[in-house]
Amino acid sequence: MVRLITHNMLACHVKNCTKDNFPLSFSEVELVIRPAPENLEFIQRFLPKLDWTALVDTARSLGDETLPENMPEEWSEDQLKALHHVLMEMHVEEGNMTCRGCGHVYPISNGIPNMLLAEHEVGR
Amino acid sequence: MPLYILRLSLDHTSFRIPSLLSISQVFNFPIRFVSQDLYRGLLVIELEKEEDVNHLLERETLLLSVTELYAQGSTYEELHAEMSQHLDILQPYRQKSFKFTLEGVNHRVIESRIRDTVESFAYTALEGKIQMKNPDVEFVIYEDYQWQAAHTVQARVSRDGNFKHVYFGRRIGFGRARTLATSHDVKNRAYYGNTSMDSHMGFLMAGQALPAPGKLIYDPFVGTGSMLYAVAHWGAYVLGSDIDGRQIRGKMKGKEVKPGILRAAEQYGIEDRFIDCLTYDVTRSPIRTGGWVDAIITDPPYGVRAGAKRTGRKEGGKPLREEPYLLPDGTYSHKREDYLPPSRPYELANLTLDLVQLARWLLVPGGRLVFFLPTVNEDYQEVDVPVVEGMKELKIGQGSIQDFGKWGRRLITMEKTALDDGPPPTFEDHDEFDIKNQPEHLPGHFGFRDRYAAGFAPRTIGDSGSASPAVETPAILVPGVTTRNEQGK
Repeated sequence: MVRLITHNMLACHVKNCTKDNFPLSFSEVELVIRPAPENLEFIQRFLPKLDWTALVDTARSLGDETLPENMPEEWSEDQLKALHHVLMEMHVEEGNMTCRGCGHVYPISNGIPNMLLAEHEVGR
Repeated sequence: MPLYILRLSLDHTSFRIPSLLSISQVFNFPIRFVSQDLYRGLLVIELEKEEDVNHLLERETLLLSVTELYAQGSTYEELHAEMSQHLDILQPYRQKSFKFTLEGVNHRVIESRIRDTVESFAYTALEGKIQMKNPDVEFVIYEDYQWQAAHTVQARVSRDGNFKHVYFGRRIGFGRARTLATSHDVKNRAYYGNTSMDSHMGFLMAGQALPAPGKLIYDPFVGTGSMLYAVAHWGAYVLGSDIDGRQIRGKMKGKEVKPGILRAAEQYGIEDRFIDCLTYDVTRSPIRTGGWVDAIITDPPYGVRAGAKRTGRKEGGKPLREEPYLLPDGTYSHKREDYLPPSRPYELANLTLDLVQLARWLLVPGGRLVFFLPTVNEDYQEVDVPVVEGMKELKIGQGSIQDFGKWGRRLITMEKTALDDGPPPTFEDHDEFDIKNQPEHLPGHFGFRDRYAAGFAPRTIGDSGSASPAVETPAILVPGVTTRNEQGK
């Protein structure tokens, strides 16, 4: 938990934070790999929703270099399997996600990120 | 095309047809309802292939058994006349070992009549061995009775044989999903809370979300996760969020402690389908884009046991701080580990409309939104279900309702008909539910918690204290505020 598929869908939502608010950068990470049954059809269907650059950068920051710089036009099964591994099997259990724009830190403990905003960050 | 008799539980009858239709949609097979009355213990349907019966037996929690229909009638004479017309249908089973079962619906057939009844089928000329244990084929005779209380032996004897209709056929199989309510019983769950959904209802709701492997289903008010176990059981990936992370985690603290929701998921062998659980307020959510969730399923908090909350401060109270608060010890309050932002009540009418707007944005085209809407029955009107462009309510008959007398909860299923994502919802309070604007009608779920606490007293307060407000000047509607003398006791 905090898998990269989820991380790819999250941006900082502090009020007025609109620049460099995605992707959130990981730090002090405790990473756990948990093998998960493959459903490559799901992975393929999810592709258009991914922000590829953000995913590649994040995977590399966590030490996984298997994803190509640019999103392949044609996918081989091995490439899909590598993507499955990155999206579904890498779990950040402890650590922080930090907004590169405003510096807000979203802490992760026991695999659950706390993304509640502080009172002055909510807006209105 | 072959006809089949479904023997169905008489529980939750208004959930039955939507549930069967959802299964047919998940596995993409047509189903036609042949019975005139769809709410009896026996339901005759038409399917293209016998394999499709298997999907129903696998998934339908209300289904006891399925029998291929050979003949029927309002009397045995009619049934035998029809059956003797096409005895060739029995050809594949003529040499097989078999048994006959006579079952009454709404009635227990008197034992002494069973033998004669079975022997009246002698003309079928089956040649196989009669075998009561594990026969190759089981033939079933169903006598369908009107429901009537018969508490004495005499009452039972006197109505024996006075059935409304009788059916004959070959048993295909027994419902395999019947045990799910027990195996997922909340009492035996590794982790649950005081708002956890009853396991059978959880499965009935789950079916409406069309769960299947490779789908992603989200609960924005996940609580202790009880909506997600059933959809994950049918193979879907699930995602949950809640403003209160303690609900997700449970009481146990420490670095190696597994969150409560995952402990229950592990118990059911579906932990790897729990993609993530996150703590945030869905009205201030970090989701960056729409159009990627296959279904949203949720039981919104309606305030009787747990009130809905959103970040903010109550109206008329202190305004929200613009700047971080520096504590006397020189640290910022929001940096403390135990910091919780202030919250204010999230009015159910606003929440419901927001939920539909959220689904409009977050779902894939054709995706479904499934949720329970509690409502005061007296005040409920069709218009109470929020109407949002691009979202369509799927409703069969009067809809699926769990009726508790003065109030009930309606299972609302909606489909996203829009093909685009549209803008994300703003989650502003909606003016139409603001009592300051004196709306002419407030939904039956508005101010639900206060109304529940007030015993569902009528909420209209006319200036003269009369129950019916004047037509020209709509009375001020004050939810939940009723004084004793106006209730008329």
